[in-house]
Amino acid sequence: MIKIIYVLLLLTLVICSNEKPILTIYTYDAFAASWGPAPKIAKAFGQENNCTLKFIGVSSSIGALRKIQLEGKKTKADILLGLDTSIAQAAKKTGLFAPYDLNTSSLELPVVYQDDTFVPFDYSFFAFVYDTDKLKNVPDSFEALASMPKDFKIVIQDPRSSTAGLGLLLWVKSVYGDKAGEYWKRLAPHILTITKGWSEAYGLFLKGEADMVLSYTTSPAYHIMEEHKTNIKAAAFKKGHYGQIEVAAALKSSTHLILAKKFLAFMQSPAFASIIPTTNWAYPVAKTSLPKAFGALHRPKKMILMDGEKVEAERKAIINEWLNAIQK
Amino acid sequence: MFSGLARVKGSVLPGVFIALGLLVFAFLLFFTLYTAQDSRTTPPIDSRIYGLLKFTLYQAFLSTVLSLGVGTLLAWSLAHQPGFKGRSVLVALFSSSLVLPTLIVAFGLIGIFGRNGWINQIGLTLFDYSFGSYLYGLFGILLAHTYLNASFASRSLLHAFESIPNEKYKLAKSLNLSTFQRFIYVELPALKPTLLSIGSTIFLLCFTSFAIVLILGGSPAYNTLEVAIYEAVRLDFDIALALKLALVQLAISTVLVIFSSNFRTGLGNLKTDDTVLPWREPKHLHYIQTTVILLFAFFFILPLVVIVVDGLDADFGHFFKDPLFIRSSITSGIVAVVSSLFTVIIALFLSDAKRNFTLEYRLGNSMFSRFFNLLISFSGNLYLAIPALVMGLGFFLMSQKFEMPMNIWSVLALLTANVLMSLPFALSVLGPVMQKTAQRYDKLAFSLGLTTLQRWVYCEFPYLRSSLGYVLALSFCFSLGDLGIIALFGSEDFSTLPWYLYQLMGSYRTDDAAGVALILLVIILSVFILLPKLFRSRLAENN
Repeated sequence: MIKIIYVLLLLTLVICSNEKPILTIYTYDAFAASWGPAPKIAKAFGQENNCTLKFIGVSSSIGALRKIQLEGKKTKADILLGLDTSIAQAAKKTGLFAPYDLNTSSLELPVVYQDDTFVPFDYSFFAFVYDTDKLKNVPDSFEALASMPKDFKIVIQDPRSSTAGLGLLLWVKSVYGDKAGEYWKRLAPHILTITKGWSEAYGLFLKGEADMVLSYTTSPAYHIMEEHKTNIKAAAFKKGHYGQIEVAAALKSSTHLILAKKFLAFMQSPAFASIIPTTNWAYPVAKTSLPKAFGALHRPKKMILMDGEKVEAERKAIINEWLNAIQK
Repeated sequence: MFSGLARVKGSVLPGVFIALGLLVFAFLLFFTLYTAQDSRTTPPIDSRIYGLLKFTLYQAFLSTVLSLGVGTLLAWSLAHQPGFKGRSVLVALFSSSLVLPTLIVAFGLIGIFGRNGWINQIGLTLFDYSFGSYLYGLFGILLAHTYLNASFASRSLLHAFESIPNEKYKLAKSLNLSTFQRFIYVELPALKPTLLSIGSTIFLLCFTSFAIVLILGGSPAYNTLEVAIYEAVRLDFDIALALKLALVQLAISTVLVIFSSNFRTGLGNLKTDDTVLPWREPKHLHYIQTTVILLFAFFFILPLVVIVVDGLDADFGHFFKDPLFIRSSITSGIVAVVSSLFTVIIALFLSDAKRNFTLEYRLGNSMFSRFFNLLISFSGNLYLAIPALVMGLGFFLMSQKFEMPMNIWSVLALLTANVLMSLPFALSVLGPVMQKTAQRYDKLAFSLGLTTLQRWVYCEFPYLRSSLGYVLALSFCFSLGDLGIIALFGSEDFSTLPWYLYQLMGSYRTDDAAGVALILLVIILSVFILLPKLFRSRLAENN
């Protein structure tokens, strides 16, 4: 009898040890999509660490953060992935995230990035994307953009709901400083419409509604590789482009904190880096051989990036300045 | 009074309980939000919000006037052209506008009226002239709102036209009234209750419009209060401010609901008989009416054609194999079926209860009738009073308080949102019919002493049948195309078709997204045209 119990106990032990830990990652929907980076990353990391990755896609990265905030300490999330540096500071203030010592020496970033909580995993540059078949006279600066002919139109995203929209505001602010409001007044007649998110804006551009759309320097890579179209290009601006560095952090409340930190380190590995370019259409933060299409992209020499603290402190004022300037 | 109550107990109680339940739910929602707000001080509602409010009211007013105007013209034309070829299909098609996902409609309209739309393309090829980006701004908002609401209004108004007894038309003819006089003295009085009740619904719809206002508005100056709430929740995570704004919206909706429930739906929209008037409309009127129908049909169908043309580019084989697509379709389908059934049941009980308080010989003269009438009207219009995002947020916070698996909460939230969304329309369709059957059969039913169940089976159901088909189709499609609440709950485990579509759009897959839009459109249109037909043909057999 005792033998049987002993065997049973042993069996349950074996079964339990076979049960893989599940690491839950909240992110934005495109990252979690079946065609996004999530499945490949889950496979690579899961095999290496004998665990299961579960990606929960929320409608946007800010949405994912809000979901965690609403869930509070009870959240199932171990990691939040996909915020950018301009909103990460706001996330840090919630006190929900665990500190992480980042080894910056291995990073391949155009700017120095130092943070004690959030870890970068990819980056790209904001840029105005256009169709070479339709637009011949391509603006190369904000000044040129504002002085385009009257019927030249762009689509941008609302900074209150989209990280891309906020990025553009910060870009203009970095270039124009106190005169940003005045610049927006000049640009306003060229703004066809302002959408809630990147998706609608890009959709309008592809429908031919606007001459340019605010997107990324890496957007053309998608059209080259997936659609074999070379007519979609990003306009190079002489004074540099504002960067978007996407970051992730582990949650203090995570029950798999060690594994979560392992994942944050994995984000700087070549295995992770090789997945990013063709699934998230961005540059990885570790050295890897980029696909050929990326060679055809405009890679800005200078990345403009406002300090996260400063963004957090001034965001409201910058948005209000923008609102006042473009409301006719 | 009490004898009166005893007689209609079976019809009062269920509806009043449901109405109370809905109000308790709304209260819980606000209470949850109230307890969740930070202690830090919130910024007061600033002048920008007042500006938004002022513009939103103005925009909603214009949209309502336009929608009602166009809707009446269309219904008038359709009513006087009963022999128009394809009329019944057109009527069904027009009324589907309401349930088409707004984002898809917006892209369809852009395909026609946009800067690179068909009108501008034709202008450029033929005359080397483009109208430019006229669509974006107030014009676009009004155009889209008219597109969505005029067609919806025309359906209900058509019923009102058809409920005018032929005798009145004969009288008008013998008095030699002009077309205009006929409209003023014969038709308008019959339309008035419908105009007012539909008008207030349309006003609230335009007041809370979100996707359309954002994509076609062009400038933040044209944002609605919903956008401000969105900003408060998403960007600033300021629940207190969101709550404040939501209360403003609640107040405005309450005023409107009180206003609109004042009109007793005296004349029901029940079709009287099918005998066609023995004379035809004069030739010039015939031309005008046919032109109106044709013009509106073009205006309505062309954007749908754009959606079809765009959608055909998609690689259907690719996502028919995607397990996520299949899962999303199944989830969407099940949710839509369940919520449409719930909607019909709740709407029936609510409108059944409501007529007790509007009909004088029932309880209409009792002291509390006005109060109950309001209570029911308000509970039926909750969705228009509570911003979708606030509802989603409230649900989410509740799900944190009361431990239950997340999937159950997701289903619950989605079902509630879908039912509440369809209720105002379901009530505006079923209410007048129920009212009319009561007026007609109450004396008979009461004298025969029919039980509540018998009454349903013999009196109400035969008359409700065709409306039931419409309401079922309406709430089915509403639920299928909704994205609102799923945004907070959606995940790989619980994804719906609109969610899938949005995911595709978010990762450059515009062609596939257009394909999913096409699939949604085909499902919605076929359900919308076939389902009511199914119900109607059975009615014809029965009679």
